[in-house]
Amino acid sequence: MLLELSEEHKEHLAFLPQEDSAVVAEFGRTAVEFLRCCTNPKIYEGAARKLNVSSDTVQHGVEGLTYLLTERSKLKTSELDFQDSVFLYLDNRKEIRTILSESAPSLPSYHNLEWRLDEQLASRSLRQQIKPAVAIKLYLNQNGDHDTKVLRTDPATLLHLVQQLEQALEEMKTNHYRRVVRNIK
Amino acid sequence: MELSESVQKGFQMLADPGSFDSNAFTLLLRAAFQSLLDAQADEAVLDHPDLKHIDPVVLKYCHAAAATYILEAGKHRADKSTLSAYLEDCKFDRERTELFCTEYQNNKNSLETLLGSIGRSLPHITDVSWRLEYQIKTNQLHKMYRPAYLVTLNVQNTDSQSYPEISFSCSMEQLQDLVGKLKDASKSLERATQL
Repeated sequence: MLLELSEEHKEHLAFLPQEDSAVVAEFGRTAVEFLRCCTNPKIYEGAARKLNVSSDTVQHGVEGLTYLLTERSKLKTSELDFQDSVFLYLDNRKEIRTILSESAPSLPSYHNLEWRLDEQLASRSLRQQIKPAVAIKLYLNQNGDHDTKVLRTDPATLLHLVQQLEQALEEMKTNHYRRVVRNIK
Repeated sequence: MELSESVQKGFQMLADPGSFDSNAFTLLLRAAFQSLLDAQADEAVLDHPDLKHIDPVVLKYCHAAAATYILEAGKHRADKSTLSAYLEDCKFDRERTELFCTEYQNNKNSLETLLGSIGRSLPHITDVSWRLEYQIKTNQLHKMYRPAYLVTLNVQNTDSQSYPEISFSCSMEQLQDLVGKLKDASKSLERATQL
């Protein structure tokens, strides 16, 4: 029987495969120690410094491994099944994270845009016109469904759209934005 | 231009100084333009004291004839010679022809704008608003740090007069792609209009 790991556990264990086997072994030993008695936060700090991750990450890693070990013995999982669970997770790890990050409540997302220049020459109510316009086809994605919207705009509005959206892009270069990003991490 | 017999009859009545003196003629002409172009105009446009002496049926008939003609002339972008030719056919004297042409010229732009705005077309983008956010957490994935843009396009439907909005999210790269394409369209438009 394959072990079911919760999302939180998967996250906790996520950084382990990147480390070499010696490190993982050390983690394994710490996990066993943890099981036997208690934990020593100082060990986490040391490990965190060496590995260049936060000590929280280390603690979670140990706890995750501990969970794995306990579940394994609880369920008397076979060696094979245990390895399979881990490999399954590792192989699909990247995909799992991407899917999880995108399955949050979301809006349709931008996919592509096509445009076409149109010149209106006449209509039923007025002949001999010269009215330039731009037809726009907006491709959006939502939950795997593709949606297209066909829209139109005039030259003045088009310039306005470009100007506004360029300002939006500029916002990511501001000090305010950079400060927020730095401090959140 | 296709004009019915009733338009011609109406104009012939307007041409007759016995039915419409100079003042009445000018008032009726102005009333015709006003009811077409002024959004707030109502039926009271013909309620002028100087028009009271004329039979209301005649007034309405001539008013309708004038309005119909004005719309047809506007639709086909009639020039002064076309207008004059028709009016003279309807027995308009020099003075009344001149008056009509002048009044038409004064209102030409508004008339063409009005006629040009009638018709079906694709939903029209009128404005855009945006929001930059930094996503830090969801209930599925505990830690994720990434910026995202939320863009909303304000759209106007010509026939239903409704104002739906189209909102979507995008990453910085996607927004750059979007802006790049809009800029291409804008440059093409500029080049095309210079030709």
